[in-house]
Amino acid sequence: MEHNESHETDDNQITPVGVYVALLGLVTLAFGIADILVWAGVRPGIQVGILAIAGDDFFRWAWGGFIMVCAGLFMLSGCTRVTTLQQSAKVVLGGVLVWLIAGTDIFARLCAAIPAGEASPAYFNSLSGFLAAFAPPYTPAVLLLPFTLGVVYLIRMHDTDDS
Amino acid sequence: MVDAITRQTITYGTYKPTLGDVLGDLTVKPLTGIPVAVAALYAFWSVFTSFAGTLVTDGFMVKFFDGFWLPWMQSVWPDPASWHYFLFVGNPAAETCFEAFGMLTSGFFVSIGVVLPAVLVFYLMMTILEDSGYLPRLAVLMDSVLHRIGLHGYAIVPIILGLGCNVPAVTATRILETKKQRFIMMTLLALFIPCGAQLGIMMSVLPDLMGVVMCCLIVGFVIFGFVLHKVIPGENPEILVDVPRYHWPVGEYVVKKLWNRTMGFLKEAVPFVLFGILVVNLLYLGGVVQGLANLFEPVFVTWFGVPKETVGPLIAAFLRKDLAIAQLSTIPMTTYQMVASVVLVTIYFPCVATFVVMLKEGWKELLAAIAVLFAVVFIYGGIIHGIGILLGVA
Repeated sequence: MEHNESHETDDNQITPVGVYVALLGLVTLAFGIADILVWAGVRPGIQVGILAIAGDDFFRWAWGGFIMVCAGLFMLSGCTRVTTLQQSAKVVLGGVLVWLIAGTDIFARLCAAIPAGEASPAYFNSLSGFLAAFAPPYTPAVLLLPFTLGVVYLIRMHDTDDS
Repeated sequence: MVDAITRQTITYGTYKPTLGDVLGDLTVKPLTGIPVAVAALYAFWSVFTSFAGTLVTDGFMVKFFDGFWLPWMQSVWPDPASWHYFLFVGNPAAETCFEAFGMLTSGFFVSIGVVLPAVLVFYLMMTILEDSGYLPRLAVLMDSVLHRIGLHGYAIVPIILGLGCNVPAVTATRILETKKQRFIMMTLLALFIPCGAQLGIMMSVLPDLMGVVMCCLIVGFVIFGFVLHKVIPGENPEILVDVPRYHWPVGEYVVKKLWNRTMGFLKEAVPFVLFGILVVNLLYLGGVVQGLANLFEPVFVTWFGVPKETVGPLIAAFLRKDLAIAQLSTIPMTTYQMVASVVLVTIYFPCVATFVVMLKEGWKELLAAIAVLFAVVFIYGGIIHGIGILLGVA
């Protein structure tokens, strides 16, 4: 309890971690909105560098986009006094939602990369074909994945507090 | 004396919540819990389609069964014009196992190539949700919603189980307290919850229409749940749920549960799939299906707006609903007709395995459920047709 209170004293300040979480939340929110807008047909599809939003599938882009929006909002709502337990939990929850979307995107690529494809007589893909399936472009959630790993810092911090 | 024991055995202090505790609270509060539930369902469905659909069925099974198994069966089985060829291998001109409809071609493809991977990955994810502690939280979160249709939060367990197989789901309705709750749950399970086998087949034969079909089923579930709640007398008491802390599932328990559930399903499903195809083929050979199709043609064509050929699959649906959807996929139909007939197959009679388990729960309840079921099929099928006409698609 005392430990938490010690957090409370410096929690009112804008910390670098809080700024990082706020930026991450804003970007996640923007990506989520972009996913939904592209699916809704505002633009036929976006590809900028290694980022791609196809928007061709309700399940992936509208439903998945809604989850990204929620993830962004969770991060934004937790960015002030981010080291307190309640606020950290919101940020962690936002990060977990991004991990879910990114994880399922990567898993979908993995599942599509293992078989050789209908046209090929072989059952398994070649090594080069398998690796090529993981080449860019990537979905917004996959691109955000390394940046959300900062959430692990918050989890570790509270794990240390608990012990 | 009491004070002395208390001093030695009880430690007083302030409870310090952990990050896991706060995350647990956030996942049961509607504002944060509903997005998490939506995300969990997304992940559930995404992993299901990627593994069962893209990787196993489309990636390997279709290639094996259509490229090797079917041509081999067609080449080694004697006399393509005979009745036994029709029963066991099916259509001699078929190029895919879906079209062949023989006991040893479509039967094995459906049970091993489509249903097995779907059920395996479904039960794996179900076990992870259970063992991580998320399922009780989902029950708490859904409690107020499910109370509106006469159930309580733990009804989410048979609902999710039903998406794997309706048989254990019907058994799981025993966790509900009152007769009214159990009856509503059993009826809704039989009507609006497609099993994993059905989902797997739907995903294979009509992936683009899955959203529309599921939407029709969810709307029907809510409307008829609400109606049943209002019509059926009885209580709908509150529950106390013990919500455990979040924890990592233990690998050994996950494997054990997965093994038991999958083996149980296989023992029950594979014989029914094979037997179902055999019986349906016999009915075709005997001219029974054609007779029934002619008899029910006015209802099917006029009231439901689907072709009379769907009578055959509807008979097959009593034996296996997944089988029926596979049959439907070979009948030429418009998009509306396909959606309507798949919804009809789903809400039509429970498959024979579910029927038997429902019978064990009580014959009066079963008869009442069947009466409700016929009424719902007739009304809801007509409503869907009406909406189709209004939208100009029927």
